[in-house]
Amino acid sequence: MSAVPALALLACLAAAALLADRTVTVAAITVLLLVVCLRAPRRRRWPYLVGTLVSAAFLFLLSPLLGSYGGAVLWEGPSVPVLGRLDVTDDELRYALFQALRLAAVGLAFAAYALLLDHDRLLQAAGRLRHSVLAVALATRLVPSLERDAAGMVEALRGRAVVVEGLRGRARLLSPLLAGSLERSLNLAESMEARGFGRPGRTRIPRPPWSLVERAAVLAGLLLVLGAVLWL
Amino acid sequence: MAVARIRQLTYRYPSSDRPALDSVSLELRAGEVVCLLGPSGGGKSTLLRALAGLVPHFHGGVFSGRVEVGGTDTRRARPAELAGTVASVFQDPEDQVVLTRVDAEVAFGLENLGTAPHEIQPRAAAALDSVGAGHLLERRTQELSAGELQRVSIASALALDPLLLLLDEPTSQLDPEGAEEILDVACSGRTVVLSEQRPTLALERCDRVLFLEGGRLLLDAPRCEALEWLAEHRPAYLPQFRVLTGEEDVGSGEPLVRLEHVSYAYGGRYAVGPASLALRRGEIVALVGPNGSGKTTLAKLAAGLLEPAGGEVQLRGRAAYLSQDPGRYLVCERVDEEVALGVGGDLARARRALDLVHLGGYDARHPRDLSSGERERLGLAAVLVTEPDVLILDEPTRGVDPERKALLARLLRENAARRATLVVTHDQVFAADVADRSVTLGAAREPAHA
Repeated sequence: MSAVPALALLACLAAAALLADRTVTVAAITVLLLVVCLRAPRRRRWPYLVGTLVSAAFLFLLSPLLGSYGGAVLWEGPSVPVLGRLDVTDDELRYALFQALRLAAVGLAFAAYALLLDHDRLLQAAGRLRHSVLAVALATRLVPSLERDAAGMVEALRGRAVVVEGLRGRARLLSPLLAGSLERSLNLAESMEARGFGRPGRTRIPRPPWSLVERAAVLAGLLLVLGAVLWL
Repeated sequence: MAVARIRQLTYRYPSSDRPALDSVSLELRAGEVVCLLGPSGGGKSTLLRALAGLVPHFHGGVFSGRVEVGGTDTRRARPAELAGTVASVFQDPEDQVVLTRVDAEVAFGLENLGTAPHEIQPRAAAALDSVGAGHLLERRTQELSAGELQRVSIASALALDPLLLLLDEPTSQLDPEGAEEILDVACSGRTVVLSEQRPTLALERCDRVLFLEGGRLLLDAPRCEALEWLAEHRPAYLPQFRVLTGEEDVGSGEPLVRLEHVSYAYGGRYAVGPASLALRRGEIVALVGPNGSGKTTLAKLAAGLLEPAGGEVQLRGRAAYLSQDPGRYLVCERVDEEVALGVGGDLARARRALDLVHLGGYDARHPRDLSSGERERLGLAAVLVTEPDVLILDEPTRGVDPERKALLARLLRENAARRATLVVTHDQVFAADVADRSVTLGAAREPAHA
């Protein structure tokens, strides 16, 4: 499937997950998106999957402690200043699961966009939104390039008899990684300017029309959003 | 006919208190290939940026004088408007790649210039073919090696069919055969300014030579006259080959590294192997071979940074490895602290190591404020300070000018007896200058033995 219908389908799935009222619907969308993300190479997919699933897990664990939605009390904890008494009820757990699945679905839709879509094709199809789409595409590349830089940095330091260990050791790399990425962005901006970016009258490579399957996929996505609003 | 004219150009970057270019005047004629030489930080890249309009538009700073390209005053036209008339290939190919697929990357400039849609793909494909990268058309740019990226960057510039082509060390990541092939294509039938720190090939192809030092143009002369000037004033810029073989007697130092039939694969694709290599204390070995032959992987195996998929690695003593482009991997806020990192923060040792690489007095500078050549030397100090038994340097001369390379070669030779040294390089002149013998790796997946 080409990039634009695939993006439309992913956007529909994320929207349906946000609009649906039933946990089982959101869970089904989350599982579907997880399966899609697992098609990406293992080396590239792990930061996205870990980031999304850990965030969702945190939301699931913290939300019942901090929220208050009534229901049968399953556990009662100590009283904490500002937060008051900590407790977990069955309704809070259900609500936390629902919100965590929503977060996971949206995160996985973004992961699928970042990992599997051809951003160049999106850019070519962007028309007047070209500048914004390019900015999003470049920002999306930040995660893999930071990951690559971090691996290179750890290896270069090992070559200098410096061992990077533990969370503290890795945290020390954040500032140089950020400095490196800023330096790279400036070089890239210079290169783009020298290659005529931003000049009026640009053209684009002709792109093939959408196939029947692609049209059907986008239609199915829109129907899913409608269904999420009305019934799911 | 003049393609470009520079009159009394003086330019200072916003963060600097001395001019990067000082009263530079010159003229570039149609079809002329001009070789731009000079030490690191001498103003070569700034001159190229001035011709592309990036100085002063992109960098700011104080600009006086006049630069005209194709009849347009660069102060009145932004770089994007000059694009097409001028095309630039910058030093680091990784930092100029915008898109994720090779075909889209080469088409990017053509689209920006408003090329007719039906012409874009054929022109992009033809440009890639011309630099021997036609097979990369559908590949993802993140998967390419540095040498392949360099070819794609050059193809992106050639696709624009510019009046003036500006090349800033365009072959620094290419093996000698690849570099020759690329320069032949780039320099045929157009006006080219070619800045090089491996000047042998550039000097063979140019019509004229410019030499910039401290921002001043010391030489602007036709090739023959320039060669005489270089021989008298800057002999390090002229090739002085000695024949390097794999057979030279290197004495009987104790063996420190032995790689026996080692192999290594990245995601199922063999990068090395099976290959064998032995290094003794007291010898300097140059590891050479075409792009993609696995030199870096073999060097990392020898340094103990990678575990071989097959074969055996024996390493006696402590190994240090200087990665390619070490300037990317600087982690401290001061130059001396960066070097001291490998010796538990011992600043006195760090300063001695900085003196060795002629960076004495740079202690308090921020590492990222240094030029690319200075960063390369900083990286070298950071590994030398650990006093390793096995020293492995991966392309240590990238961005380093010929005079500094000669000093580096002398430094390595003076300390050669203390250790075994392996230098991975595409720089044949440096390899011949520094090494006792060379080991050539064949194309990937072919067995290589030394």
